[in-house]
Amino acid sequence: MRVARVQAWLGERVPIAPLIEALRHKRVPQHRYSVWYYFGGITLFLFVVQVVTGGLLLLYYRPSAGEAYESVQFLMTRVQFGWLVRSIHAWSANLMVASAFGHLFSVLFLHGYRRPREVTWVSGAFLLFLVLAFGFTGYLLPWNQLSFFATSVGTDMAGTIPWIGHFIVRFLRGGDTVTGATLTRLFGVHVAILPAIATALVCLHLFLVQQHGMSVPPSIEEESRRSERPVATVPFFPDFALRDLFAWTVALAVLAALAAFYPWELGLKADPFAAAPAGIRPEWYFLWEFQTLKYVPASAFGINGELLVVGALGIGAALLLALPFLVPDRPSTRRALAWIAAAALAYMILLTALALRGSGGPIP
Amino acid sequence: MMALRAVHAAAVLAIAASWASAQTTEEAASRAYRDDVHAAAGLRCAACHQESRSTYAIARTAVAPLCAKCHSDAAYMKAFDPQVRVDPYAQYLTSTHGRQMAKGETRVATCSDCHGAHGVRKVADSRSPVAPVSVALTCERCHADPARMGAFGKEATPFKDWSESVHAAALLERGDLSAPTCSTCHGSHGAAPPGVTEVANVCAHCHVREAELFRASPKKAIFEQIGQAECLACHGSHRIEQPADAWAGLTEPAVCAACHDSTTRGADTIVRIRNGLDRLAAAIAGGEAVLARAERAGMLVDDGRAASREAREHQIHARVLVHAFALQPFQDMTDQGMRAARQSQAAGERALHDLQVRRRGLLAATILIVGFLVTLWFKIRRLGPRGDQL
Repeated sequence: MRVARVQAWLGERVPIAPLIEALRHKRVPQHRYSVWYYFGGITLFLFVVQVVTGGLLLLYYRPSAGEAYESVQFLMTRVQFGWLVRSIHAWSANLMVASAFGHLFSVLFLHGYRRPREVTWVSGAFLLFLVLAFGFTGYLLPWNQLSFFATSVGTDMAGTIPWIGHFIVRFLRGGDTVTGATLTRLFGVHVAILPAIATALVCLHLFLVQQHGMSVPPSIEEESRRSERPVATVPFFPDFALRDLFAWTVALAVLAALAAFYPWELGLKADPFAAAPAGIRPEWYFLWEFQTLKYVPASAFGINGELLVVGALGIGAALLLALPFLVPDRPSTRRALAWIAAAALAYMILLTALALRGSGGPIP
Repeated sequence: MMALRAVHAAAVLAIAASWASAQTTEEAASRAYRDDVHAAAGLRCAACHQESRSTYAIARTAVAPLCAKCHSDAAYMKAFDPQVRVDPYAQYLTSTHGRQMAKGETRVATCSDCHGAHGVRKVADSRSPVAPVSVALTCERCHADPARMGAFGKEATPFKDWSESVHAAALLERGDLSAPTCSTCHGSHGAAPPGVTEVANVCAHCHVREAELFRASPKKAIFEQIGQAECLACHGSHRIEQPADAWAGLTEPAVCAACHDSTTRGADTIVRIRNGLDRLAAAIAGGEAVLARAERAGMLVDDGRAASREAREHQIHARVLVHAFALQPFQDMTDQGMRAARQSQAAGERALHDLQVRRRGLLAATILIVGFLVTLWFKIRRLGPRGDQL
């Protein structure tokens, strides 16, 4: 009786009953590709982990060249479970990138970008770029040698862009070289600007996913049409929610094991006057771009090789964003797109593997 | 040695050309002179050679006085370099080389033997045969020749001995230009072997603390009494090796054993100093082994590493304090070192303990997570393949 009164009191002030009612009746398609739906949920789960652990790291982190390294060192050696929080944050970031790529390619292969989900796709693609930006800006924050020189190389790339390249480099670095000003700048971007944009985009993305429902792959739709049987569905709650929870728990188990058995190293403090250490390289998800730079000649067709790569990456990113508006929804174009996506994925995996093996000499 | 040879190669070639030019043709001399510091200063051949004479050759006994005409003239030299020294000739006259030359012994070195004749370069020029990394090989040309040195009743081993010393390693392998080479201890223009009583002053130039401790110790008076050279008695002269803790003690290879055995005075002190050094070395090694294990397991042990560095600093101080030949200051230092070494070991053990706690924690968390996953799995299975239709 008392519970019912509390519920009624709450319902009057926080009217979520329609939402609960909608979730109660929401259904999710169930077919042989349903497992790919969970990558979105895993990415969201890892994003939440990032927010929570990032908030805890903020309690101790000091964003200046003189204190950043020491503050992380203090966190890892003196603060109870500090090592675990930082390790989870670092591992979770990497798993989130992997999961976001998995989500993108699964949507691509299952053609989930089609009408009316174009905006869902664009918001998702932007979120992937944001995830990469999170990785890039967060990499420098411990202010260790590896991240210092990798950031130096990474920001250098922007300098090849005609006319505005120098401005972008100076904007990113807060000066001509990577200094404490760069650290403070990237810290601000990492903990304020990117999270604000990401949160807004995540909300938009989730809203659209809820509004449009899960996309059913064209092959399943075709089978359904041929067999004259509607596509099978399961209730969102509890069936799909429990499966999502299962996937999140698996992600948590992997994360805990990685963080405990392979704690994220801190390395040596950055020394701007020291020679660049041997084997500097960016995070694994940027390796394929850097490996491409190694194979492109210094100049091709009278154009700077680095500019060619940066230009190609820019065009690739623009095509990815505009994909739903460029590809007509026909079986032949879908097949062609699947092959192109497979080739792109194979290229990225191959180049990453080559970079990890150290082929092609040092990073230019 | 290879490094020394490589670095010196260019200088040797230059000086060889210079020496050769001094004895061969006018053309060769002119060619070598183009890259000479005197040519750069605007001096011509006639500055040294008298054109009225039938030969340009300068007698070996006349070389140093000829150079001194300018190099001892402060007013003249100031025009080229306000900080240049004008005492090389005065120094040379006090050297063994200069004194022998004054007696008419022309086999000894004069200015052009070390600096060259027509391709003279500044000492700071790494191509100069008297640059810090090259000067030992320049001395070697004569001092490693048994026939030449035998004629003066001298041994020809100093260069070989020096090249195996810690000083040569510092200079040639680590590139430490402050490390001593021949001229650092013997002098350059005034080169002479330091006497038994002066040699400690030579070493003390760099090894200040050791010399200070030794001079305040009872050993100083004893060594003076028996005519023993201070540092040389234990460390030798040219072939200065890396000292080891085993040098303290009453048995081989201890240097103390040369004079002391278990029956002599001070034997107990020697044994206790050796035990102290061994205990500290073992404690540091033990601590570092634990730290290395913890680090290999992925633990951060910066505290332990700092303590270990501190222990090593105390170890260095303790080794220096051996030169006081007294137990108390040495023991105080080794006690501090032992405390730091124990701290490093404790930090390593703490890290290994933390690692165990983490692993147990992870095991517990994994069991909980797996339990939760199994429960979820059964719950999902119970829901069944609810392929309801739209």
